[in-house]
Amino acid sequence: MSIELRDVCKAFGSKEILRGFTLDVQEGKTLSIIGHSGAGKSVTLKHIVGLIRPDSGEVWVDGQNVAGLELDKLYELRRDVGYVFQFAALFDSMTIGENVAMGLRRIPGMYEDEIQVRVRESLSLVDLDGVEDRVPSELSGGMQKRAGLARAIATKPKYLLYDEPTTGLDPLTVTVINRLIVRMSEELGVTGIVVTHDMSSAYEISDEIAMLHEGRIRTRGTVDEIRNTEDRVLRAFIEGRPELLEGT
Amino acid sequence: MSSPPLFTPIESLGRLSIQGIRTIGRGGVLAAGAVRALRKLEIWWPRLGEHLYAIGVASVPIALFIATFSGIVLALQASYTLTGGIPMYFVGTLVGKTMILELGPVLTGLALSGRVGASIAAELGTMRVTEQIDALEVLSYDPLAYLVVPRMLAGLIMFPIVVLMAITIGIAAGWLTALGTLDMTSPQFVKGITIFFDPFDVRFAIYKSLSFGLVVTGVGSFYGFTTSGGAEGVGVATTRAVVAGSMLILVLDAFWAKVLL
Repeated sequence: MSIELRDVCKAFGSKEILRGFTLDVQEGKTLSIIGHSGAGKSVTLKHIVGLIRPDSGEVWVDGQNVAGLELDKLYELRRDVGYVFQFAALFDSMTIGENVAMGLRRIPGMYEDEIQVRVRESLSLVDLDGVEDRVPSELSGGMQKRAGLARAIATKPKYLLYDEPTTGLDPLTVTVINRLIVRMSEELGVTGIVVTHDMSSAYEISDEIAMLHEGRIRTRGTVDEIRNTEDRVLRAFIEGRPELLEGT
Repeated sequence: MSSPPLFTPIESLGRLSIQGIRTIGRGGVLAAGAVRALRKLEIWWPRLGEHLYAIGVASVPIALFIATFSGIVLALQASYTLTGGIPMYFVGTLVGKTMILELGPVLTGLALSGRVGASIAAELGTMRVTEQIDALEVLSYDPLAYLVVPRMLAGLIMFPIVVLMAITIGIAAGWLTALGTLDMTSPQFVKGITIFFDPFDVRFAIYKSLSFGLVVTGVGSFYGFTTSGGAEGVGVATTRAVVAGSMLILVLDAFWAKVLL
């Protein structure tokens, strides 16, 4: 098992976000986590990279218990995990090239020439050739997301975590991002977890889809299983019909 | 159920105390983390230069502006106060002693608390709410080593330098004022400065400015790092950094006066 969360509980103050959350992702597969806003999807991703520690339960990545790792070991583990942030989180004081090079500079023994080659390759993979010298504010929202993706893949991680990769983008850019995510999985063999509430994206990019509801995984299945689910809560979410929830 | 009105002030006091203790605790954790992050030289060293410039060199104009007018006012007020047979060279004594012991370090510290502390809190606060600090962590950078250590070291190195420059310019301004408007001669002013000069006074100013440099950059970093809640949160963090930094400067000023004088 490459990524596994076991019975994770997390509360912020009196608000319980995760209540016995259990999930695993098979190597080389892409799993989408869907759920309402505030359900805890991003919190789940942050547990995987150790940005948030669980109140109880365990998070295992590559056979290592994330919460139990010392800081230096955690930084080592993070070199194998790429994270695409919801709003790209590009460093606005740096150029795009410098942003993409950031993770590479933490790899021991990597020379500047190699770094520059890898920066260009990564930007090319997301169809952003020639923007190395531009700053994030000069790029559109979609381009910033792609630059964020280039930064995440530059270190050739085994795992990629995507936080709402298509939110707020126009339909054409959504398609471009979806294709990129599929490409990452097919061409680079990366294991992916995508947090989204965009169902058409989830159908297009996922091997499996899991719904996070009330702090736990409520339903999990292949794209076809999710499309044809009988679960009223999941149907209400997929179809955007709150009336289906009445009486539940 | 709400408490009877009698208890409301007590409750508020209790809540404030808890909040204060929590802030001190979190500040201590950040400070300890920053000390541990010192060993990550490869992360903070390349960034030190830009912060030496931003915190030190870029602060020189405002520090010298304040020092110039402090020196002028000190000389004028000294001549106004020193009447009734007190020798005029005491104007030099008063300008020199006050600039070195008090006004040079404290006014520069307060000005830099506004300029440097606010800028650090706003920058780090914005990075926090836009997840740039999370991005640093995910890219295997210790954010304390990358963001806090170079700023605090720059404060530690540059505050004493800026303060010494401010003291020099403040005294020079007082000197020129004395010559131009008070009918004093240079030998009189210099006599006033040197007659009670003790090299320890300069060391005292350096100790104070070292502590001010640490406090201003540390408090700015703390409030920036713990920002939450978007643009409003950044505004709150910035205000708190300036207020807390300024208050701590005055507390430290009294502390050093009690301990070292």
